[in-house]
Amino acid sequence: MTDFLAIVAVGIGTYLSRGVFILALANKKIPDSVLVALQFVAPAVLSALIVALLIDSDGNIAIGVAEVSAFVVGGAVAYKTRNHILTLITGMGVFWLVRALI
Amino acid sequence: MSPDRSIIKQGIADALPLFVPAIPFAFVIGVVIVDSGVSPVVGWSSSWIIFGGAAQLTLISLLGSGAAAAAAITAALVVNARHLMYSAAMAPVFQHQPRWMRRVGPYFLIDQQFALAILRADDDPKTFRTYYLSAGLVFWSMWQITTVVGIMLGPIVPVSWSLEFAVSILFLGLIVMGIDKYPKLVAALVGAGVTYLSAGLPNRAGLLVGAFVGILVGTVAERLRE
Repeated sequence: MTDFLAIVAVGIGTYLSRGVFILALANKKIPDSVLVALQFVAPAVLSALIVALLIDSDGNIAIGVAEVSAFVVGGAVAYKTRNHILTLITGMGVFWLVRALI
Repeated sequence: MSPDRSIIKQGIADALPLFVPAIPFAFVIGVVIVDSGVSPVVGWSSSWIIFGGAAQLTLISLLGSGAAAAAAITAALVVNARHLMYSAAMAPVFQHQPRWMRRVGPYFLIDQQFALAILRADDDPKTFRTYYLSAGLVFWSMWQITTVVGIMLGPIVPVSWSLEFAVSILFLGLIVMGIDKYPKLVAALVGAGVTYLSAGLPNRAGLLVGAFVGILVGTVAERLRE
């Protein structure tokens, strides 16, 4: 039940973030300072998430050679190809390969 | 062929190739739902209640990793805060739309939908509406179907594959492809670094601290660049 309520809460918040200016504030401008800050939401939050997902329940970072190798190769492939499918395949491929070797 | 049908066809034809990059997200969301212990039906409901891959992945991964619900909700909402930019950019276009369309439209305003719709800002209102809803319904129905497929495949994928790590790889791809100037790189590195340093905080609050400091430092770096 908690899970469902959490999904509903995020659903409502997401709809509002997409709709607030269309529904209610069409004549209001976002202040420039906020627009500048909003560009950095995605890179800052997503990279924080990557780290957060690698932290175990005791607060220790569970990251080894396999993860780092996968990030390096996956990051390079993403930069070169701009293709999510290739990034996923090579990143996971390197992760599995290195994990099997060590 | 009537103009309406050609616009519908155009909307569908433009949306289909843009959906392809979302397929790995849909698949991984399905696997993560199965891994997280969230019930599959509840997990899948996020596909139509939230309809946003990065926020769904964030919420379900964090719920599955034992984070407090409030922390998971906050993190997912912060991930989706970028939609405020889309909303502001589309608001003038939607002023020419009937009220029902102004209410329905935002639900479909995902990243790809925005990329297509902003190019159609000068269409007459009816053409815009037809195009917007055609493309939006393509993205929506494809998303519902592919996330169900992911959930069905989830139990088949062995736990030993550690497919939850795929979430990190997908997010890394989103970051790398989104970096078009160095302040964004700074925001990403600071966000990761501060989250690492605050790993000991309860309820994964370090994530929010890291994200906030990352945004702040990125903004400062942008100011210095100007």
